[in-house]
Amino acid sequence: MKHFTLGTTALVAALSAFALPAASKDLTVTVWAGGSNDADAYRIDNIKAAAEILSREYAIMGEELNITVEGRRDFGGWEEFKQGVTLAAEAGTAPNIVVTSHMDIAPWSQAGYIVPVEDYLDLDTFPLNDLYPNLLEIAAYNDIQWGIPQDAESRPFFFWKDTMRGIGYSDADIAALPGRVASGEYTFENVLQDAKKAVDMGIVEEGYGFYPRPSNGPDYAQFYQSFGGVLQDPETGKLVLDRESMQEFYQFFVDAVEAKITRKNHLGTDWGQWYTEVANGKAATWHGGTWHYARYTGKEGNEDFFGTIEFSLIPSGDGNGRPNTITHPLVYLVTDQSDDQDEEIAAQLIKIASGPRLNSLHAIKSAHLGIGQQQSNIELYANNQWAAEATERLLSAANAQPNHLGYGAFSEAMFKGLEASWTGAQSPADAVAELETELRAKLGDDLIVR
Amino acid sequence: MPRTSKPRFNWLGFGFLAPAMAVVMLFFLAPVIMTAFFAFTNMSTSTGITGGDYLLSQSDLLGLENKDISPETLDALNNAEYRVDDAGLARLAAARDQATADEFRTLHYDATFASRRDVERALKDLRTNRIRKTRDRKDAAELFTTSVMDERFDEESDFRSALAASGINQADHDTLVQEAYTGWIWTTENIELLTSLSSSWRYAMNTAIYVAFTLAFNVGFGLFLAISTFYLSPGVAATFRTIWFLPRVLPPVLYVLMWYWLTWDTGIISTLARYFGIAPRNWMLDTGTNAWIVVILINGFVGASLGMILFSSAIKAIPASMLYASEVDGANRWQQVRYIILPQLRWPILFTSSYQTLSLLTSFEYILLATDGGPGGTTEVWALAAYHTALNNYGGNLQYGLGAAYALVLVVIGIITSLLYLRFFNFKELVSKPRIEQ
Repeated sequence: MKHFTLGTTALVAALSAFALPAASKDLTVTVWAGGSNDADAYRIDNIKAAAEILSREYAIMGEELNITVEGRRDFGGWEEFKQGVTLAAEAGTAPNIVVTSHMDIAPWSQAGYIVPVEDYLDLDTFPLNDLYPNLLEIAAYNDIQWGIPQDAESRPFFFWKDTMRGIGYSDADIAALPGRVASGEYTFENVLQDAKKAVDMGIVEEGYGFYPRPSNGPDYAQFYQSFGGVLQDPETGKLVLDRESMQEFYQFFVDAVEAKITRKNHLGTDWGQWYTEVANGKAATWHGGTWHYARYTGKEGNEDFFGTIEFSLIPSGDGNGRPNTITHPLVYLVTDQSDDQDEEIAAQLIKIASGPRLNSLHAIKSAHLGIGQQQSNIELYANNQWAAEATERLLSAANAQPNHLGYGAFSEAMFKGLEASWTGAQSPADAVAELETELRAKLGDDLIVR
Repeated sequence: MPRTSKPRFNWLGFGFLAPAMAVVMLFFLAPVIMTAFFAFTNMSTSTGITGGDYLLSQSDLLGLENKDISPETLDALNNAEYRVDDAGLARLAAARDQATADEFRTLHYDATFASRRDVERALKDLRTNRIRKTRDRKDAAELFTTSVMDERFDEESDFRSALAASGINQADHDTLVQEAYTGWIWTTENIELLTSLSSSWRYAMNTAIYVAFTLAFNVGFGLFLAISTFYLSPGVAATFRTIWFLPRVLPPVLYVLMWYWLTWDTGIISTLARYFGIAPRNWMLDTGTNAWIVVILINGFVGASLGMILFSSAIKAIPASMLYASEVDGANRWQQVRYIILPQLRWPILFTSSYQTLSLLTSFEYILLATDGGPGGTTEVWALAAYHTALNNYGGNLQYGLGAAYALVLVVIGIITSLLYLRFFNFKELVSKPRIEQ
């Protein structure tokens, strides 16, 4: 009898808990994604999918949560996007979630625009405990997990197979190239020789032996690393200017211009023209990003990517350097909002969107690389030749640029010096001397000069 | 009834003037004041614009090493940890309940943890008093912190009391407060940096080249167009003027795009030059000289059209009888231009020159669109450098303060130049009433 009473009481209590008007919340979550085109739609769509799941989880727990996700990715460029986010944050109208470069974490966390996801998420739970640790670290700053990597990529070196055959490579030689690059046997000296051969033999036009990226970007830090440069001192966290490596890196581009394999006025070439040319064999060698696969095989109409293009790490410059590639993952960040619960929901959405299934949709559609180990168990991802090969060949050797407040100034100045040497405005030695003065003045104690 | 009309009249005048005053304040005075204000701050993306909080993070500790601070404090901050002590357990009991605190005491009393994540893991060991919400577990873990590291405080006083509570030596508080402040501070470093960088002098030289050549082209070509169309029949003259006015009315992006088509290595010049055996090249960016010529022409054609309109109307204002008289006296065209037209154009030439100098000093949009300062910084003018510094940075940390310092230099030069112009051209005399009316 007593048992019955208790049971009834419990039942009544449980029923009344459900009968009571459940806590209800309507929330509009705004997602702004920088640097995103149509292929990157899942940066926003995955948050929508996550909202669907999260609402159901809340419903099971007896809370009504109605999430409307509003996405925006029609920004004129990175500058417009970053200015938009910072100004909105200053005005207190920041979007709830932003997808941006991991390098924004340092300034935005310092300014208080973003909140650490680790304040809301249990990093020991799935899928967060499945993410590649080196990628997670790239989304951390000052030992705090500020964001979650949204995708991964890396920046390979490309060879046009027909051109390589034309200068005497056999198919086996070409297939061996990635290995020779990775072991440090094939260096930029070889690139220079092979590219020159291709130009001299008339297989490619002058200036098309080595056809680099036409604008500033993380890619150029790779060349600095190729010649032995280090971006950040692991002990102190300070940025590092290695004068010798920097000068060798600049000198390589001067040599490339002299050898007529690269145009002196190459920088500033239209991106559209650039893509068309490299995707269709006008250049012998070049470098780009893993996401270029989508563009080459899509808009540029290269129907036989693996039959026409070989890819490898960025070769080492000489004996002192190392073959390398830089990964520049975009990250999901949660912005500071007046309502703490909104931040929590935004963080939970990011977490769900980072699961292997949803992230694989983005990775394969946009030709990016996965962020979690379980993605190799998702057929969509595992059966994709590009994702599988690029992950294996590149991602394990990838490093990222440092999350450091002064890194923006560092990379801008580094590129300015390269531009001045490349175009002949300054000698590499002068450019490095000026770079050193500028960095010492701007970074002070945050810089180590070697 | 009488006497009242005067103040009412004043108010009316003020009312008419008010919109203009508001515009002047908003669009001219306010930007100048704000530029001067920003230039003496270290404002950047990371400091924010609207003030800051107090936060000690790992990277601040690096900065503290060179400051006057006791080794104990530095050590305490470097080894910030979470400790399950009586105070922490009391806080846990207050926040949740005694039973939870007691169970946690039996599990982990006196344990220390390097991070909050480790405490969260320890809290998962609770069995009878499980904490079933992630947020609650995080809040509980936070109760065991012994340090102010990585915690954000809105107010200085809160930060100071947290410092005191965590047992940091009182003598170090001021230094820590200074280091922990995340907002911007007043500084003269930007100006010092500007004067010490060799690139500043190059940008200044580039600006001088840009302004001098573009101005000469603007005024010279504007004059040429005005005078040559003056001697054409009205219909033909109007057609020519309209054509030459096109660069000004075209949207800049479109106008510069046409220059791309003209000058790129796949463009019109290269295609035509190929017939003469000249290898195609980028006529805009091939060399510094190329870039300068293109930059000056792009800006020059835009400016010349304004000069042309002003000069043309000024020439039309010259009494035709003077020209007829000179022809009777046997003057040729050149003599008419030299002795009649040019002297009467003194005022429009002054106006165009001074107006164009000032606008050229601060204009960079056509350069940004065309060469973006290239090749190799050859055409990087001062205003463009200000833009690049303050609003364009791949690494994300925009240098608002330094950019404003660049801009402030332009403001100062602009003011000095206008004063010089007024003096040099004897402005007072130009605007004084004709002697006949005195």
